[in-house]
Amino acid sequence: MKVTFPHLGSMHIFCKAIAETAGIPYILPPETSQKTLTLGVLHSNECICLPFKIILGNFIEALQMGADTIVMVGSGPPCRLGLYDLVQKVILEDMGLHYRWLTIPPRLTWKAMWKNHEETKELRKELTARNVLLFPYGLWMGWKKMMACEALERLAMKVRPMEIKKGETQKRLKKTLSWVDTAKTSSALEGALREGKALLQETEQDHSRIPFRVAIVGELYTVMDPHINRGVEQKLGELGVEVTRTSWFSTHILRSLRRNKADRASERVRSFEASKAYLGYDVGAECNISIGEAVLRSQEGYDGVVHLMPFACMPETTASGILTRVGRDRDIPILTLILDEQEIEGRIQTLLEAFVEMLEWKRRAA
Amino acid sequence: MEEKGCIGIPRALMFYRYFPLWDTFFERLGWRVMVSEGVKRKEKIIYFEDSCLPMKLLVTHAVQLKGKVDHLFVPRLVSIHPTYIMCPKFRAAPDIVRLATDGDVSILDETVDLRKGGIPLLRSFLKMGEKLGASRLESKRAFREAENSFAKFQKDWVNRINRLPTGQLFERDIPTPPPLKGSSFPAPARRTRSLAGGGGDKGEEEAIAGGEKGTGNSLRIAFIGHPYNLFDVDINKDLLALAKSLEMEILTSDLLSEKEINREVSDLSKEIYWSSGREIVGSLFHFLSGGVDGVVFLTSFKCGIDALLQEFIKRRLKVRGESSLPLLVLSFDEHTGREGLTTRLEAFRDVVEMRKCDSQKVTWSYSR
Repeated sequence: MKVTFPHLGSMHIFCKAIAETAGIPYILPPETSQKTLTLGVLHSNECICLPFKIILGNFIEALQMGADTIVMVGSGPPCRLGLYDLVQKVILEDMGLHYRWLTIPPRLTWKAMWKNHEETKELRKELTARNVLLFPYGLWMGWKKMMACEALERLAMKVRPMEIKKGETQKRLKKTLSWVDTAKTSSALEGALREGKALLQETEQDHSRIPFRVAIVGELYTVMDPHINRGVEQKLGELGVEVTRTSWFSTHILRSLRRNKADRASERVRSFEASKAYLGYDVGAECNISIGEAVLRSQEGYDGVVHLMPFACMPETTASGILTRVGRDRDIPILTLILDEQEIEGRIQTLLEAFVEMLEWKRRAA
Repeated sequence: MEEKGCIGIPRALMFYRYFPLWDTFFERLGWRVMVSEGVKRKEKIIYFEDSCLPMKLLVTHAVQLKGKVDHLFVPRLVSIHPTYIMCPKFRAAPDIVRLATDGDVSILDETVDLRKGGIPLLRSFLKMGEKLGASRLESKRAFREAENSFAKFQKDWVNRINRLPTGQLFERDIPTPPPLKGSSFPAPARRTRSLAGGGGDKGEEEAIAGGEKGTGNSLRIAFIGHPYNLFDVDINKDLLALAKSLEMEILTSDLLSEKEINREVSDLSKEIYWSSGREIVGSLFHFLSGGVDGVVFLTSFKCGIDALLQEFIKRRLKVRGESSLPLLVLSFDEHTGREGLTTRLEAFRDVVEMRKCDSQKVTWSYSR
């Protein structure tokens, strides 16, 4: 048995930690590249959303490398994410690739548990007692690493606009993330996090700058994965913008575990409430949150909002139309970036530069 | 009864299924119903958001009606089935229209959610009646009458599709022409779509009328897609008229019972949770397994549901290798021209005919 999983930001560190700690053999799909994208695009319909294509590409590459079991998070209506597995399974079958599929239920209900039980029947025979015993520890380890990664990324967002040598923070962030990734024990992880934080803070900074504050909102996959959004977060940071986002891997995990009481999760509730000025119903996925967050950010004095979405994304398309109006009503610049397989990195850079320039004018006029 | 005012219904989206219901309800409550005209030549489509064509048309039609009516009827259709849901874009439709019309017009945006634990349809209509100043009793009576008129309309529906020009399908004053005798094919069972959607299989066994000619020369072609893709001439450039002129007899998923559709989609590894998506996949597989000469699948560019399911259908047919029936996939956007469409459909007809003559020959047509 060789397990594989799709890429999503630094989620692979989480998955890898679980598999490694529990001693389950795994194959990490190659980092999402142009080849991944080409594979995904070739084997799907043009109007299917970008995450579908990239995830499919990840799976194809991993299966070709010898993986045989796909682990994928499930989701529910009304967005298309809930039916990814139905379609991806038949595509892989048509391509003649052999796989076994394990869905992690989005909500822990009895029905989902039962389905999971059925799916894992075969797999469990291949697991040793050691695997099973160590699994909870693996989960805990994975979670710790995830939190460490997020803490480092958050810190990098703050440091980046102040850096004197462009690109220095990103370099350091990469290094610190790899420390977290390679930490084997809990104490090693703590050390890695501490040293990582110190390394990031030691970046040469110009503290006299007053960075712009911009919130990134939108479809979670495009917001969280720098490969998909062509490093919008980093690009903005290096243009002197302090970026914030509320979409993190841990927020979505906590949300599906119905642990909504944590303060980060309750920010979602506030966003949802704020979206009611424009939307009378829960459209699904991140649509309401995107709109609500833009409304809240305008009240909090943010300089702008960047809205990310994959081409033809159903809920976010709705949001993009409404966001134009939000921007006009609340006098906050909102830039919507629609992402698809086209090579648009240069265009995104130009758009972001123009956006930041606009923020500068706005600040000077005020 | 004295007229209380005017209610505008945009000729878009689910208008193409539920108009008789809505129309009767408002009329019985004493309101005049005005339906938007559609996009004429050279008239512009309004792009409020970069959505699929049907959604853009909703906005365009709503803006057309803006100054002329007292209320605009844009229901929030969350679900029209006891289990399955609608596309998420429908959930925001009234909000989009409200923003696009700058809040200039009062919008009746009652939520329709027929899922278990949702809102019974009658309650949605009662609420609407209340907003229009009707008493509970009046609303209830109007709703019952609307239900009856919808059921009556559904009975004639398949006959209407084949016997009336597309533009007149929803002209309720125009009676359905009597069915022609001498049908040349075994009559399929047909259902009367129940309002609650799904539920029991209330389909009555009933012979449907023969084709235009009724002589057996016509080809039986199933046209599958969302109702607005099928019947909105602004989207499909009146594909149905074209099909009729090519002596095709039009069959739609309206012919199939819920049971027949479910049979085709029940063994999937995951349940398709959009009611329209289920209907499309189920009826496509049903028709492709026989009983017709060819199948045409109509989709709008950027329709999320269709894009995903289209890939599924294509791959599954390939993996299973069961069907040898010609399948034509047509995808529409605002640039679709009638000429290109004609060529496609004529070529498709040739393929279907060739196959019919030489039934040994296996043909596969996939194009857009």
